[in-house]
Order: sequence, then C-alpha cells, then structure tokens
Amino acid sequence: MKYVGRPIPRFEDDAILSGRAQYVDDIELPGMLYAGFVRSPYAHAKVLRVDLTDVARQRGVVAVFGPREMGFAPGGKVRYQGEAVAMVVASDRYLLYDTLEKAVVEYEPLPAVLDVFEALKPGAPLVDEGLGTNVAHETVYEGGDVEKAMKEAEVMLEGRFTIQRIIPAAMEPRGVVASYDGDVLTVWSSTQVPFDIRKEVAKALDLPLTKVRVIQPFVGSAFGSKLLVYPEEIWVSKAAYLLKRPVKWIATRSEDFKATTHGRALTLEYKVGATRDGRVLAIEGVVYADAGAYYWGEGLADTAARMLPGPYDIRHGRIKAVSVLTNKTPLSAYRGAGRPEATLFIERIMDRLADELGLDRVEVRRRNLIRQLPYTNVFGMTYDTGDYLETFERGLERLGYRQLRSWAEEEFKKGRLIGVGLSVYVEITTFGYETAILRAERDGTFTLYTALTPHGQGVATALAQVVADELEVSIESVKVVWGDTALVPDGIGTMGSRSITAGGSAAILAARRLKDELAKATEKLLGCKPEYSSGEFKCGGKSASVRDVVKAVYRREAEAQLTVEAIYHADATYPFGVHVAVVEVDPETGFVKPLLYKSYDDVGFVVNPLLAAGQAMGGALQGIGQALYEEAIYDEAGNLVTANLAFYYVPTAAESPKYEVYFAERPHPSRHLTGTKGIGEAATIASTPAVVSAVEDALRRIKPGVRIEKTPVTPEDVWHMLR
Amino acid sequence: MRISLRVNGVLYEVDVEPRRLLVHVLRELGFTSVRVGCDTATCGACTVLMNGRPVKSCNVLAVQADGAEIYTIEHNDEVMSRLKESFKRNHAAQCGYCTSGMLLTSYHLVKRGVKSEVEIVEGISGVLCRCTGYQNVVKAVKEAAGL
Repeated sequence: MKYVGRPIPRFEDDAILSGRAQYVDDIELPGMLYAGFVRSPYAHAKVLRVDLTDVARQRGVVAVFGPREMGFAPGGKVRYQGEAVAMVVASDRYLLYDTLEKAVVEYEPLPAVLDVFEALKPGAPLVDEGLGTNVAHETVYEGGDVEKAMKEAEVMLEGRFTIQRIIPAAMEPRGVVASYDGDVLTVWSSTQVPFDIRKEVAKALDLPLTKVRVIQPFVGSAFGSKLLVYPEEIWVSKAAYLLKRPVKWIATRSEDFKATTHGRALTLEYKVGATRDGRVLAIEGVVYADAGAYYWGEGLADTAARMLPGPYDIRHGRIKAVSVLTNKTPLSAYRGAGRPEATLFIERIMDRLADELGLDRVEVRRRNLIRQLPYTNVFGMTYDTGDYLETFERGLERLGYRQLRSWAEEEFKKGRLIGVGLSVYVEITTFGYETAILRAERDGTFTLYTALTPHGQGVATALAQVVADELEVSIESVKVVWGDTALVPDGIGTMGSRSITAGGSAAILAARRLKDELAKATEKLLGCKPEYSSGEFKCGGKSASVRDVVKAVYRREAEAQLTVEAIYHADATYPFGVHVAVVEVDPETGFVKPLLYKSYDDVGFVVNPLLAAGQAMGGALQGIGQALYEEAIYDEAGNLVTANLAFYYVPTAAESPKYEVYFAERPHPSRHLTGTKGIGEAATIASTPAVVSAVEDALRRIKPGVRIEKTPVTPEDVWHMLR
Repeated sequence: MRISLRVNGVLYEVDVEPRRLLVHVLRELGFTSVRVGCDTATCGACTVLMNGRPVKSCNVLAVQADGAEIYTIEHNDEVMSRLKESFKRNHAAQCGYCTSGMLLTSYHLVKRGVKSEVEIVEGISGVLCRCTGYQNVVKAVKEAAGL
C-alpha cells in the first residue's frame, strides 16, 4: 500500500485556505430573497392568532406565510421556545429583521414542563396531548437472570448520574438556499443528509425525485446536529417553489441554538450487584432522555442502554430506556449519540465500585474486561474484534498512566492540586449502505463521486488514498466529489464514524469493478487476458495504459463501462481504547484546567494518522467541554438562558489541554474492505469520563470521599465540594 | 453614506446605510471568506485586519471603517502564504469555518513577532474552533513564526 497509513495533508484545505470554499451563506443568486421566522418566546403556549397584515405592507417584504400555509405550530400550539409560527420573505436581510418584529402573534401561555421527572408525574402538563402521556418511547432491554444475580451479589451500589443538555454549536449556524427554475428545484443546505432532504422535499411538494436536487456545499461542522431533515429545509424549499425566486435562510446564532437539536440530556438510575473481589454480576436501571418537544432523536436512550455494559463482561442486565417529552428544543444526535453517555455511566460505576472495595481503578477494570472477542453483550450487541485486556495494558503503559499518577502526588507536595483520570470504552460505529461512483477520465485520471457528506473530517482525502492504492495510481490523479444528489443516486452520509468504513469500502469495491471493466476492454484491444499493475494492463508482451483503454472505448475499438457504481453494506463494528486525562484544580475559584489528554485507540486500520489525530484531539475537547463547561440552561419559564456563545461556554484555546494521540501498534481490523472501525467519535466518548475521574482524583487529595454524579462539573460545583 | 475601503490593496467606494456592519459590507463585496458565526462578537470567525490590527468585523460599523486599510485571508503576502502552508501541513483546519479568523489572528501574531506558545494560545483564544482542539493551530502558528 502506498498512501493508506500515511499522514497526508488534506486536499480540502486548498479551497478553505484560499478563502473560496463556498458555505451556504456564500451562495448569492440573482433575485435572491431572504427568509426569516417569527419564533415563539414561550416554551408552551396556544397560538390564538397570527396577524401578518402589517408585516406584509412593510418595505421590502415579498411574502408572508402563516401557520395555515406552512403548517407551523401543529395542533395550534408551540411546544418550545424558538418554535416557528410565521415566515417572512423580504428583499434584504436588514429589512427582514426590521419586519419580523412587527408580526402580531397572540399566545395563551400554558404551563411548561421542563424536567423529565416532573414530566412523568401524573397530572403533568402534556407536551403532546394526542399522545396522552409525556413518554414518547419506552423499551426494556434484558438479558440473563438479573434477580438471581442480584441475590448472589456481595456488594450493591445504587445511584443516579445526570448528564446535562449540550448545544452542539457547530461554528456555522444552519442555513438553506432554494431555487426553482420552473423545472428543477435546487436546494443547498448546511446538512449531513442531502439524500434525505431530497426525499422529504420531493414528498412535501409532491415532486418526483428527478425534479429535486440537493447540494451540500462546504459545511461548517455539524457533530450530528445536522443529520435530521429540518422543517426549515422544507419551508424554504416550499417558499422558493411557490415564489419562483431563490430564497435564503441563515439562522442567527441565538436562533440556531434554539432551532437546532440539542444533545446528551440523559439520566441513569442504576443498581449494580458485584462480588467482593470486584466482578460486576448484574446491572439494572432506567435511562431517561430529556427528549424535548418532539421525539426526533430516536434511539438515544436506547443506544445508551444497550451499550451500558461497555467493555465489561456483565452477564445479567435489565435497562429500561425511556424518552420523555419536555418543552425544550428537540433532542437528537450529538457526537457519539448514546455511546458517550453509556461510557460515562459505566465508567463512573467502575470508579465507584473501586472506591467501595478499596480497589485500584485499573484493577477493577482489569477484573471485568471482556476476555474473548467476538462477544455478545447482555443486550445483544456483538463486539466484533479486539483484545481488550492486552490493549488496555499496553495503552496504560504507552500513556504513562502510573508515572502521571506519581507525578501528580509529587506536585501535590509542592502545593498543586492535580488529578489523573482514566477511562476505557468500547463503542459502536457504522451502519447501513453507502454508494460510490468511479469514473475513468480520458487523461487517465479518476473521479470518485461519494454519497458521504464530509464537513471537516478530511474524508475526501482519505477516500483518495484508498482509491489511489486500489488502482495503484498517484493520489493526485484521483479527484473526490461529494455533496450532490445529482451525481450519486442515494446514500446516507457522514455520521456515526462510518465514513471511511462504509464509503471507503464502497470506493474500493467501485475501483475493483472499474479495473474489471477496463480489463475486459483491454482483452479486446490486446487479444490476451491482461494483468493490471500501476495504471497499466499487460499481457503477451503488449501493454495499454488506463488512458489508452479509455480512449479506445470512446473510439469504439473496445467496450467497457467507464463509470461504475458500487453500493456497499457496512454493518456495525466496535472500536476500543483507553484514555487518560490530567487536570489541575484551583481550590480558590473551583476552576478546572485540563493540562494533558492522552489517547490510545484500537480503531482498526488507520488510513490517515494526521486526520485521525485531528478527530481524536477535537473530539476530546468536545468531551472536555461536556465534562467541565457546557450546559444548555433553561429557566423556570422555559427560556433558554444560554442562547448564544457569550453564555454558552465552548472551550477556547486557553482551556484546551495538550494532546498526545496514539493508535494501537497491532490494531484489530473490522471485517470491512478498509479494515477501519472509525475514529470520529472515540475521543468524545472517552474524554468526559476520563476528565470527571481526574477532577474527582484531584479533589480527593484534600477532600476524601467526594463523588461526582453529574456533568458538567462547574467551578461552582468544585468550590462547593471543597467546602 | 459614501465610504471608501481599501481591501487587500484595492480601493472600493460603497454607499452604505449607517447601521450596516462591516462584515456584511465585506461579504457583499465578495469577501465571503469573512464569516459570521455568532451575533455577540464571541466567535471571531469574522476577524479581519483593520489598519494592521485584528478586529471582529461584526462589531464594527462599515462607516467606522471609512478610509481604513482592510486585510482578509486573500491578502497573500509572504507571511500569509507561509501561514497557509503551515496550516495545511499541520492539519490546522477541519470544517474551515473559523479558519479565516484563525489565519488573520495568527498573521497579526507572526507580524508582531510572537515569542512563545503561551502568547499564541492567548492570541488565538478570541477565535472559537469547535473541530480541532486547537493544538494543530498552535503548532501551525509556531512553525510559521519560526518558534
């Protein structure tokens, strides 16, 4: 292999660094109109009247749409602050924002329910009356014999751990441009799912798929917050279709914080039974999701429940996953989507078990780690490959865990309060199908069209590496194109750490098929069965380059498909790793500064260590943000009080630790063609528990027995714990 | 109001409403590398150099910039080109949305003769990046600054 495994800088950077990378707000079309939404200031209210007559008369206003035209406020009510009730389309953005304030909306406020446990009480206000309950979804996952195992247990732990609501805060707010030329409706969106948007827009406007084209321009990150089809994508498309003029909507930051899904917001109530020597026998409990006003984020509590046993051999379990509606922004995926929560829960439980038994935190893990892979966990998830115990031991050594602990002890003698934390994880990545189309060009170069939807990861570069290796050609001769439903029939997109495993394997499959096609044509040309090597077909002392063959096909001297399509089905695979965090606590202010973050991951083969490390570092900082700083806070009336970046603390360079990223020297590949397992979310999954554990470790030097049972661990929390 | 701006060495004369923000005027002139990421002057994606100093152009009225010399990342002098190469080599950009702000802030640091990593970290902490975890940005700036 020539390119796979090498730290190749990204091709994507050329457009970004030139300043010409086009994000959705950079698209300006002749005659463009600008859309904005009148949004509810109330968390829960009946919408009695929407009067847009005055708005429609304002300078620059082209069209207004109320609940009847667009289906705003279904059931005649709004369910969360920021839910749209009207849409205004104007000729200029400044005029648009002037007029939005002039809409007359009469509300009858209703009692809002903002807490999961309040929402579950009889007589609680109902977010969705039609449902008759605030429970949107409930499933029990069960395996083994919990009752029996609990009876045999010598140690019992009971508790609750709460994970806050996170605002994904992609640096680019969401936005949509739609344009209808009388024939085709073209939609550009800051999204992860152009193919889904195409289907939903076509359905909403009753158009065939051929009349809807969705383009994903450069996207200023997403972290799962752009993987649903949002109502704005439908509304803006509809407005452009009706008005026959291009329409653009770009969310303001505060609008985005309310109208883009939030993440995490899970609580676990648990009971764990273990032996006196630290073996966990059974786990039982409930995972509650604060699902928000609409149940859009299906399966978050469920993934957390099913992955709760983590990398540990726990043979008996029963976890109920309950998703509860509240009057808040709908909950959906955020980098990891269920796995970070499961990992934080089980890692906290392991730390607690170690404390109860007076065992070392490493030792308790060692005793519980799964010994033999593949392994089907108690809730039916089959972990595919790995050697957890060996990777754990090698990881601890490579990360210098023990040395860091003794260093922290030494520093404490000098007056510094430093904590060292550790976490182990297994996570699930990859699902569904992915499509690749590969075309041989006349000059001997290749264009790969992928249905993946990268938005910062460097997927195009990694795909070029994979294809160049498979075709044995230079990487410069492979151009990767993404983000256009007109170029690829269907696909899923970049999410769930699946891109290279699913889309890369599809690309390899396409490259193999293209070689077969070209070989067929060459056989006709040369009159013998050729061997392919490094861009050349050879047999019987004769040879033909890819370029010769392509030209021959165009001259009708031979026949071959010069464009091939491959659809690859990629089911789940399971990365594993061990991470270590070092933090320093200021006992005066309670502020926690992450000093060092080290990761050791077995994610199968690594296509590009430069880009993979980028995922690990950025992912870690997001998990650190969750551990220490970030929280979507609502007041009692349901106002989002952290509605912009001034009040919602995304970590800056000053809070960022130093990172050391390691990948297993002897990785355990997945069974997919790339052998990869995915690196997009691993560090987000592992970092929160490692950091929380590190904070607890630091605090215990002066306050033995403190236990952290929620995130974020704010300076205020730390300050109180030390008093 | 009629104002003039010199952007990357080229003189523009534009008629703007007094309330219009510099970031919007620059974007309308085609400098879309100047990006909007928030509405509270927190994220730094709209950072430009105005008369040699980094400013958040969402926090400047276009009329306040009358007569000013503005640089965006299209100002490809030797330092900017060096920074861009270093950003690419060190994988300092991911989604790219904050990159213009990072580049211009870093450009100012390098021009000013930044001496240490601490100064770089402090210098770029006014630009939010959600993707990289910052280490590669710091590394890229260090290399470009010859540290």
